[in-house]
Amino acid sequence: MPYCVHCGVELDGTATFCPLCRTEVIDPGRPPDTQSPKPFPDERGEVPPIPKGAVAAVITAMLACVAVGCGLLNLFLKPGRTWSLYVIGATIMLWLWIVLPILFKRIPLLVRSLINVAAVALYVYLMSVELNGRAWYLGLAVPIILWGGAVWLLLSLMLRVYHRSVISSAAILIGSLGVFLLGVEFFIDRWLTGGWDPSWSLVVLTICVCTVIPLVIIRRIPAFREEVRRRFHT
Amino acid sequence: MAGKQPEEKEKRQKEWYRLDNAAVVYSAIQKERYSAVYRFSAVMDQPVDPAALQRAVDKTMPRFPGFRVRIKQGVFWYYSEFNDAPGPFVQKDISNCCQPVRFDQDDGWLVRFFYYERRISLEVFHAISDGAGAMTLLRTLLAVYLRELGYQIPNTCGVLDVDKPPRPEELEDAYARYATVKARRFTTLKKAYPNAGTAEPFYTLNVTMGFCSVRQLKEKAREHGASITEYLTAVLLKVLVDQQRRERPKKELPVALAIPINLRPWFPTESLRNFILTVRPCIDPGLGEYTFEEIVSQVHHYLRLNINRQQMQAELAGNVKFARNKLVQITPVVLKNPGVAFGYWMAGVRPFSGTYTNPGPFEVPEEMRPHIRRMEVILGQATMPRVHCASISYGDVMEITFAGTQKESDTERDFFRFLVRDGIHVKVESNRTQ
Repeated sequence: MPYCVHCGVELDGTATFCPLCRTEVIDPGRPPDTQSPKPFPDERGEVPPIPKGAVAAVITAMLACVAVGCGLLNLFLKPGRTWSLYVIGATIMLWLWIVLPILFKRIPLLVRSLINVAAVALYVYLMSVELNGRAWYLGLAVPIILWGGAVWLLLSLMLRVYHRSVISSAAILIGSLGVFLLGVEFFIDRWLTGGWDPSWSLVVLTICVCTVIPLVIIRRIPAFREEVRRRFHT
Repeated sequence: MAGKQPEEKEKRQKEWYRLDNAAVVYSAIQKERYSAVYRFSAVMDQPVDPAALQRAVDKTMPRFPGFRVRIKQGVFWYYSEFNDAPGPFVQKDISNCCQPVRFDQDDGWLVRFFYYERRISLEVFHAISDGAGAMTLLRTLLAVYLRELGYQIPNTCGVLDVDKPPRPEELEDAYARYATVKARRFTTLKKAYPNAGTAEPFYTLNVTMGFCSVRQLKEKAREHGASITEYLTAVLLKVLVDQQRRERPKKELPVALAIPINLRPWFPTESLRNFILTVRPCIDPGLGEYTFEEIVSQVHHYLRLNINRQQMQAELAGNVKFARNKLVQITPVVLKNPGVAFGYWMAGVRPFSGTYTNPGPFEVPEEMRPHIRRMEVILGQATMPRVHCASISYGDVMEITFAGTQKESDTERDFFRFLVRDGIHVKVESNRTQ
């Protein structure tokens, strides 16, 4: 019978290593027994996946009920205005955000971003329909939503690469906010005056950049990072 | 008689039971990453005959209606009802045993039977019975199985007569019966060293068993002035205290174990359902260093002092009183579940570093003894990747199992090395593949 040279415990004749310390069993005079049955079976029990459809169906039914209910109510309550579109738009947006990830676990980032942008765009579109705002929708809302989607995608990609440190994550997040707001002002100016006269967004961007610079320095210079870690340790 | 049978069957189908306190908790916290399933196995002297085992299961199960149930969700509470599905069927054993139950799958069965080479295993979901009840079922099943093989086995030593009808006392909720005293208030327990490791991939359970001699253990325990359970508890506590120290934490947390106590010796009942409480021996390294002798002494005195009828009755009365609270009763079960799960985490997970259970020696009639080589017990996966420890003795073989979903084997390694250093011969078997 083999013994583990480190643990001093007796091992089963079929053991090729010690399960306690993973030291290999090497006995030139008596190699491990490969004929006798092992103490435990090798086959793993397969587990059927949990049916996720039920949860998705329940949420879908709830959202659908809300949408249909408000749609019907709209026929009697202030029928002149299509206020129910706000609710219906919100339910569609929620469905795309909540139910889709339940049904499909691994949606690629790009596809998920496109779906999210489309969901927001659809919601705002339904609002614009109610407010007869086709002009501002196309001229202002769509560019801002697309710009937001692009910044979001970029942010997600960067966080994927640099997610290990809280400092880099915070720096990326703050930086993205500044860039996004710069774009927002650009589109507003273009819509209102046709030109671009950056003012408030520059202030915000400057604040963001000034906040990011120390974070980047702390992240880059090991001595600083160590100092911060020492002072702020929990 | 023939005309009476369908009527009886129909009546049986309608039978349902309220869950006892322990069952309420185990049903509410059951999930994919936690398994309140435990396993008892008997290693026979001959390879198992699956057909005979299936016949034995078919003959034994009607005698144990408490195990022939499925758990269903009511509006306010879960409840169990008679399971009329075909089965349970014996299955080939698997390496990742004690898988969590899913109430809506596998025909709702909460007991499972497995065979592998010479081993017969019974897995039970903790909501329907505790170790003492499951051991009665396994003992009776083994007796019927051996009769199927042609041996004469009497109905003594706790083997139930499968030809007799089940008795209502066996289905009693013993907690409710003995909750007659003033309840004890709940106290919040301190957080203990969690002993958590790196989680293995989904549905993996690493099982490591150590076998040693009961006689040797008893002698060694006596040298330290303790019983076997006290000695093994102390070894486990010592190993965990040392392990925490090696990790060099900023603040050393207390190391505490959950030790289930079978209440039947204090409160007579024939119930095969749950009737246990846990005690919490604890070593606080924050107070200073403890030698092994001191830990043994702490455990020895703690268990003797705290396991008494009055204290246990007050505690179980507290649990029952909580379940009888009107506000708790009218809360829908879907809202109650997160509350119960949080309560379990606060009172049953956070203040403990692990579980150690010793259901004691497995007694069988004299005629069965030559056919059984040894007994084994395994606890299912904990709520976090850490090991649960369980032991059972049969004849002169004490079997000690460490089972958990963590990759590391530090706790079991240090535990068995300690026993070896203390002069006890240990043989180790495991289902680990790397």
